[in-house]
Amino acid sequence: MKNIILLTIDTLRKDVLGIYQNKEDLTSFLNSLVDHALIFTRFQSSGPYTQASFPGILTSSYYLEYGKPKKLSPKRMLISEVLQKNNITTAAFHSNPYLSDFFGWNRAWDIFYDSMQDEVSDLIPYVTGDQVNRKVQSWLEQYVQSGNQRHFFLWTHYMDVHEPYIPKKEYLQAVDPSISISEQEMFDLFKNTLLKRDITDAKKVNLLRNLYRAGVRETDEYVKELFKILKENNILENSIIIITTDHGDEFAEHQGLSHDGKFYAELIDSPCLIIDFDRKKKEICQKLVSNIDISPTILHLFNLSPEDKFEGQSLLPVDQYQEKGAFGEAIGKKGNHEKPTDLPVYYYRKDNMKIIYFQDGERWEIYDLEKDPEEKSNIIDSHPRADELKEKLLPRINRWENRQ
Amino acid sequence: MDKEKRNQELIDKSKEVIKKAFEKHDPSKCAITWTGGKDSTSDLWIIRQVCVEENIPLPQVITIDEGDAFPEITDFLVTISKKWNIDLKWLCNFDVLTACLSHLGNIVQVNRLNKRNQEELKRIDFNEDSFTLEAESFAGNHLMKTVVLNQFIEESGIKLLFMALRRDEQAARKEDEYFTHKEGGHLMPEHDRVSPILHFTERDIWDNTHLHNLPYCSLYRIGYRSLGARSSSNPGDIEVPAWEQDLENVPERAGRRQDKEKVMDRLRKLGYM
Repeated sequence: MKNIILLTIDTLRKDVLGIYQNKEDLTSFLNSLVDHALIFTRFQSSGPYTQASFPGILTSSYYLEYGKPKKLSPKRMLISEVLQKNNITTAAFHSNPYLSDFFGWNRAWDIFYDSMQDEVSDLIPYVTGDQVNRKVQSWLEQYVQSGNQRHFFLWTHYMDVHEPYIPKKEYLQAVDPSISISEQEMFDLFKNTLLKRDITDAKKVNLLRNLYRAGVRETDEYVKELFKILKENNILENSIIIITTDHGDEFAEHQGLSHDGKFYAELIDSPCLIIDFDRKKKEICQKLVSNIDISPTILHLFNLSPEDKFEGQSLLPVDQYQEKGAFGEAIGKKGNHEKPTDLPVYYYRKDNMKIIYFQDGERWEIYDLEKDPEEKSNIIDSHPRADELKEKLLPRINRWENRQ
Repeated sequence: MDKEKRNQELIDKSKEVIKKAFEKHDPSKCAITWTGGKDSTSDLWIIRQVCVEENIPLPQVITIDEGDAFPEITDFLVTISKKWNIDLKWLCNFDVLTACLSHLGNIVQVNRLNKRNQEELKRIDFNEDSFTLEAESFAGNHLMKTVVLNQFIEESGIKLLFMALRRDEQAARKEDEYFTHKEGGHLMPEHDRVSPILHFTERDIWDNTHLHNLPYCSLYRIGYRSLGARSSSNPGDIEVPAWEQDLENVPERAGRRQDKEKVMDRLRKLGYM
């Protein structure tokens, strides 16, 4: 049995990774892991932004399942709770306010670092990946020195790809040396263009995209550094590392920016790699899987029995994984803030067919992802299987009524 | 190592940092923040020593009255500043207190505030008509704490603030953070900050306090370990003096309500609020 490390990179689009055929060389370190990787090519996020997606990853449950309290519902079972009960050391290091102690994500971690007590700059309101790594490093060194015989589950999360898109200069240089822009200008672009979801100026959208890509390059360095720390502590070979994201990011593909309440590919087609250095050749899994399967996979890897409250199933062994289609739900927010008047959005995907329901206006959309991967043409009125797909989603949409 | 020796080394290190601070800035351009808590009291005590030894005038000492202070803290500040012959400057946003009739939890109507406070709210993109004055309210916190401090820095031409942060106080403080530079900008005048006691642990502070018979606020004796606003601080082990509690294993701020303000501030900066 090995230790399990879950590395989640906030807002990481699948299509920026070399492992997923991106040719821009933004992730040279991640690319170098390919021979040890099990690669999921059709991995879906259950939500398009942090609050909507992370219940999927760490509690194997959907966002709206327990109503929508601001804080994590005590009824949800965090993976850390299951593991701690089974004598596995649990450690978390991140800097996302929505996953902080305050919002109730600190349950059952032996160490929980959410950075909220630390100083951050005015422009970038989170601690950067190298600072997170330093926290991991000091914990890991202590763990190794203590001679602790227990296995551990380590969850590390980086925010650096996430807006306000203020990457370090050297990475921006590497992505496009012709761009010359100050941090304050980047921040103004975030404030005046991104936060306003203003896509009228294609040049500005393109600049945002380049800043984002620089953030990806920067984060690849932090991943490299983390692996170095693991290696130096003789942890790397004894660990299985799951790398994924909570959601992607939009650059005007569907008339928006950032990550709002939508279920299109740029937001929920996510990367997922399982790295194991005992694996000597890359393996690809094309099954349609979901981020609600992450926590059950972790239990499987620790030889623990499945948890009743978990809605997903273990991704491993891949040949035993049963495709049931992927669901997701969110609030149809437009802009970073979820307003009390915003209504839910639901989606279901089976094979290459995707159906989305916006409660606002009771709108349905269906896309054939094989013929229309960019999801431009809604075929709700012409698709012969529309009713069948609706039938699949309706019980989820109506599950509140049935319970009352 | 024995307690006295370690204590002297810690103090010597602090003195070095303080001297460096005075090399960077004239004492008349410096100010010392003093909350009446155990850390800033030790901090002030060491700075005073340096000033005496080096024949440097003691910089201006300031304290911020956020409108929610424990009376025990206020008494302590009054008594000790007299005893130590310190001309303590009390910073307070009286305009806001007047607007809420000096009562925490009351609603403050923005249009009843003076122009400067209204402008400050606009600067932080606060556009509501009113807010409740409490420790966790964004607008209230900004006006009662940040604005008064910034105003003081600006008007007194302060270049350096002495703070009393400790490295062990929070899960993560970077190494070598004695000095931090605050860029001037949207919400803050440019200045440096220094924390001479950064390397002290909570235990070291208590050792220092007892070894040198420093005064401390009576609340520590009845179990408080960390003193913030009245409404957000609770004692740790009730009736057990702070220094006799399990300092090494129970977080110092366990008695403080998780700092909602910080979380909200980050979300706001990301545009989520």
